[in-house]
Amino acid sequence: MSLIPCSRESEVTDMAARGHWPQACAPELRTHIGACPACADLILVLCAFQSARADAVSTAKVGSAGAIWWRAQLRRRNAAVERIGKPILGAQIFALAVNLLLVGGFIVSQATHGIQWLPWLEQLPQSQSLHFEVLWPSALFSAGWSFTVLIPVLATLALVGGVAVYLVSERQ
Amino acid sequence: MLWEAIFPNVLAGDAPRVAELPMDSDAFAGFYERSARSLWAYLARVSGDPALADDLMQESYLRFLCASRPELFLAEGEVAARRYLFRIATNLLRDYWRRPRASSIEEIPEELFAASASSAQADSQAILGPALALMRPRDRQLLWLAHAEGYSHREIAEITGLATASIRLLLFRARRKIARLLREQTDRVSSQRREL
Repeated sequence: MSLIPCSRESEVTDMAARGHWPQACAPELRTHIGACPACADLILVLCAFQSARADAVSTAKVGSAGAIWWRAQLRRRNAAVERIGKPILGAQIFALAVNLLLVGGFIVSQATHGIQWLPWLEQLPQSQSLHFEVLWPSALFSAGWSFTVLIPVLATLALVGGVAVYLVSERQ
Repeated sequence: MLWEAIFPNVLAGDAPRVAELPMDSDAFAGFYERSARSLWAYLARVSGDPALADDLMQESYLRFLCASRPELFLAEGEVAARRYLFRIATNLLRDYWRRPRASSIEEIPEELFAASASSAQADSQAILGPALALMRPRDRQLLWLAHAEGYSHREIAEITGLATASIRLLLFRARRKIARLLREQTDRVSSQRREL
């Protein structure tokens, strides 16, 4: 099988594309097509496909462009919302992890130093007013930090950290 | 602290900006009007299933609109956009053929059984349809793009993702094979008509 294309292939293609085949084809080119198997195949295939295309185009029932436009808008919007949602989820996970660490640290510190607020809870129903000073005994932390300072600091860190994680992932 | 600065996309209402499409609706409607029928013809004839062509055509336009390539339309205009659309459709067809599937007789659309085509259309379908069905899917795509849509080898390479050098050889072989099948099919149809 020869794979060398006929030099007149493009001429045959142009002629068929202009709709000159078979009536308006030049006699010399018609003679060539009759003698050249590659060009004979080409013209046969071209006519079959162009006729099939014309039939299919005339029978095509295409839907409304507006519906497709609307669906594309919706799809892009959903994709955008999903993209925005991912960093928020990351920030939430980070904040949750910091909060769990905080709770864990609190429990460990209470276990180490003794649960000193349980007696206060037991006395609470009998007391006339709430004595909040019982909640922050300075003896809890040997370093001098009390919960009144530590809890807001850690909460702020968790919040700022969450926002920072969100901004970084959103930028990516 | 301004929360818009922290959550720009959420609070500043930027989500619609993110969702902006590369064409406006009027431009798209015009483009759709000019390209939808030929895309449907490609999908229907290459897949041999008009119902599948409907689905894949919609999906092609959706993916086309959702693709973030506005520079494509600005730089090369509608010809490039059309080529890109055919590329999406070609990939969707390829994905469809790769997918394992089992279809029952109930899933086949009724239009396939209805004899609604005119005589000339029936002739064209009776001859080209069975011949195309005997071709490999990739060859069907190549033949349609080259001989029905009139794309050059370079454009077909861009649409199908094949090397330009391979297109010439693949197309030559496919054309030879389908020409033989078309001649056989024409003879068969003629002999059937004579018998009737």
